Amino acid sequence: MNILLVGKLPVAEWIEAFTNWLTHTFSGLFNFIQSVGNFIMDGITNTLSFVNPLLLIALITVAAFFLAGKKWTLPSFTLIGLLFIYNQGLWEDLINTFTLVLVSSFVSIIIGIPLGIWMAKSNTVKQIINPILDFMQTMPAFVYLIPAVAFFGIGIVPGVFASVIFALPPTVRFTNLAIREIPTELIEAADAFGSTSRQKLLKVELPLAKNTIMAGVNQTIMLALSMVVTGSMIGAPGLGRGVLSALQHADIGSGFVNGLALVILAIIIDRFSQTANNTTKSPNAKKNASKTNTFIALAALILFIFASLARLIFQGQSSGAGQTVKLTYVEWDSEVASTNVLAQVLKEQGYKVEMTPLDNAVMWQSIAKGETDATVSAWLPNTHADQYKKYKQDVVDLGSNLKGVKLGLAVPTYMKDVNSIEDLNNQADKKITGIEPGAGIMKAANKAKKAYSSLSDWELVSSSTGAMTTSLDQAYKNKKEIVVTAWSPHWMFAKYKLKYLKDPKKSFGSTESIHSIVRKGLKKDMPKVNKIINRFNWTQDDMEAVMLDINDGMSPEKAAKKWVKNHPKKVASWTANK
Amino acid sequence: MNKLEVKHLTKIFGKKQKAALEMIKKQKSKTEILEQTGATVGVYDVSFDVKEGEVFVIMGLSGSGKSTLIRLLNRLIEPSSGDIYINGSDISKMNSEELREVRRHALNMVFQNFGLFPHKTILENTEFGLELRGVPKEERVELAERALDNSNLLAFKDQYPSQLSGGMQQRVGLARALANDPEILLMDEAFSALDPLIRKEMQDELLDLQEKVHKTIIFITHDLNEALRIGDRIALMKDGQIMQIGTGEEILTKPANDFVREFVEDVDRSKVLTAQNIMIKPLTTIIGVDGPQVALTKMHNEEVSMLMATDRRRQLVGSVSAEAAINARRKGLSLSEVVDHDVRTVSKDTVITDIMPLIYDSAAPIAVTDDTNRLLGVIIKGRVIEALANTKDDADTEGGEE
Repeated sequence: MNILLVGKLPVAEWIEAFTNWLTHTFSGLFNFIQSVGNFIMDGITNTLSFVNPLLLIALITVAAFFLAGKKWTLPSFTLIGLLFIYNQGLWEDLINTFTLVLVSSFVSIIIGIPLGIWMAKSNTVKQIINPILDFMQTMPAFVYLIPAVAFFGIGIVPGVFASVIFALPPTVRFTNLAIREIPTELIEAADAFGSTSRQKLLKVELPLAKNTIMAGVNQTIMLALSMVVTGSMIGAPGLGRGVLSALQHADIGSGFVNGLALVILAIIIDRFSQTANNTTKSPNAKKNASKTNTFIALAALILFIFASLARLIFQGQSSGAGQTVKLTYVEWDSEVASTNVLAQVLKEQGYKVEMTPLDNAVMWQSIAKGETDATVSAWLPNTHADQYKKYKQDVVDLGSNLKGVKLGLAVPTYMKDVNSIEDLNNQADKKITGIEPGAGIMKAANKAKKAYSSLSDWELVSSSTGAMTTSLDQAYKNKKEIVVTAWSPHWMFAKYKLKYLKDPKKSFGSTESIHSIVRKGLKKDMPKVNKIINRFNWTQDDMEAVMLDINDGMSPEKAAKKWVKNHPKKVASWTANK
Repeated sequence: MNKLEVKHLTKIFGKKQKAALEMIKKQKSKTEILEQTGATVGVYDVSFDVKEGEVFVIMGLSGSGKSTLIRLLNRLIEPSSGDIYINGSDISKMNSEELREVRRHALNMVFQNFGLFPHKTILENTEFGLELRGVPKEERVELAERALDNSNLLAFKDQYPSQLSGGMQQRVGLARALANDPEILLMDEAFSALDPLIRKEMQDELLDLQEKVHKTIIFITHDLNEALRIGDRIALMKDGQIMQIGTGEEILTKPANDFVREFVEDVDRSKVLTAQNIMIKPLTTIIGVDGPQVALTKMHNEEVSMLMATDRRRQLVGSVSAEAAINARRKGLSLSEVVDHDVRTVSKDTVITDIMPLIYDSAAPIAVTDDTNRLLGVIIKGRVIEALANTKDDADTEGGEE
């Protein structure tokens, strides 16, 4: 008997309990941070978006020109890069990403530099903080997303939270290192002339450590940028969403373009921060440079504040801006179609719509906590049974919007001798190609693995929806065997000849429906929206029409518009004031 | 009036200090204590006093605790025990506020590697102490400029330390300390990082300055010659303890123990009785390689009027005088044609008494060679006379083998 395996330590439960305790105890503080953070970041984003993109590009280029000492490389790269991003229609994403990086870096610096100084001043603190930093840097970034959602819900604030945890260490380490590396003689000199610790810090230590600290800050900025993609899984807006969605749809082109935009942004930020750090050696030039720099920075700040105020006044006058409806969905092709159509309908009714793609479990949680208003992508009763069980007290189920969906394992029709799950024995390397591990269908597939003895030694491979369809595409072209987790409506049934495998033990349930789930209190806050979502329903054919358009390269928004235009009667039946 | 009084000052680094103290009392060596307790003795039971306007030199080999001692005086290192009185008030009992006041007004320090701030200009460095004291900008610039002017550095005030030579940087370090007008100046191996020529210059400058400003100076060095040049009184340290305090003369003539005697043997040649102990490094020119101009330049640089001439294998050929070299240069001759082959040679074991008559009537130095005619060194008059004078004082005649 191995004694270690008798009683498993309930570490996961402890951490769960601790996080829950934190969430409940400090919910007031977390909500305050969330609302303040959202307010600030929306302010920055809106102000930046309010400025005409071309004007902003010109301004940044001019700034680069002066910063780079009137050399042409940086400004021309900045100009071309930003124009490219603008041309690709990613300007708003860029602004969002920039805000996220700016705020994360700023918070990291505000926390990191004092912490680094404290570390440098005290060996005890250093011994305590160093292992924590190691822990922070080696823990996979995904892990930070979980408490981030628990504390701050979804959106840009948890993205910042996760980025800060991830990006903080270099600033702390470099600050500590820089101050400790100052020659003892200089520190002794400062002491011997009778400086207070504050004088020593401001007049000697920080000026001497500045370059190394800036190198750390530079690292921090880059790490914050790299967290943008990860953060988009919990609703952080920006270029990361494009990358993530491209991954889920296996869309190489748009993934590359979004990635390229991130690279351009990274290079610009990196060069800017490095150039700003290069101090000139000759004293007169230094004094002048710092004067002009301060002047330009001040002028820019005043302009920015002025612009924000102007925008606020301008907004105040143009009242009648509609209420905002927050829809959330999972990046599956079916849900992209339905959510875009609903968003289009709501927009035509004069509402502003925010669409947040999230991981399935996080989506349910966000509605339960009231951070988002509604989703039309709940697959019930089987696929999302776990989530429904967990959150049914905190959400309102408005019933189905699409009936007769089906889930199961599917194979290409050329695999003639496989017609039921029970026929599977050693085909396709004993692999079932699945989708995101958090998806409901994966739970069902696991159930099937347990239910069918023939599947006991099979492996369920999780990836993403896009990766699954790509694998299917490759296998289909090469006439190779493949078993995938499939659901309909889905465009793959239109594109390939596939068949569902019979499921005599009903692991995947019988047919299901897609439900609309809204947060509690939506009926009271936005009765009309609630009504529209309640009436929203359509058929598989409707959905597949939109899906196919999207799969043929039309943007989801366009495809949704097209559908809404072609089905006025149906739309009217949802929105009629009855 | 004693400006500075140090009483039973001790500093032990590390843990197990009590055990280390016990061992010191038993006269155990530093290494033994370190091996047994892991504690390092920095300074042990040091007492001395310094008078107003005196230049007090603390001397010792590296590791003797002299740098620790000077840092204990302004409490850059906290003493383990003992008292330090400055103008009669004990600074080892002061709180940080009072200590800061003392550091700002009474005690300033000059560092071995200058301790200048690379991000500040010379002027900003010089006014640093005044800036910390909160002296108004105009006044402190004026004081700093005056201090720089005294060291002839005013022209460089807007330069950065990295743009200056070592000697200049150290003058800035000194000006920085003096701009504060402190009562006591601590100098920690201030000239050790400079090359010998600049070093001598700086020593002279310090002596000139001392005539003007009459500061109390605690000067640390490992160089006996430096100590003898500038010190009014010298304290010699070993393993954290002071072996002897006295004037240069006292230390040379009445060494308190064997350690001091060995330490000053560099200067005191009382036991040196053979050629090899009084010879100095020969200044040579290499026949067949150097021309007359090179020889003249060498003489000029070394401030001599004669060089020994060797061939490429360091075999003695003769000597070249300045006149001969000038002659050769004028006539376009090579050195080998003007070499004076008539050089007196002795072996390295020749005793002084035998060298005496030789050197008496020879203008040129005597060459010391080995049995293959290889040049080992030269003997000049001064050294012989000095050695003889000392042997007469000293009845003790031990063998001079080193």
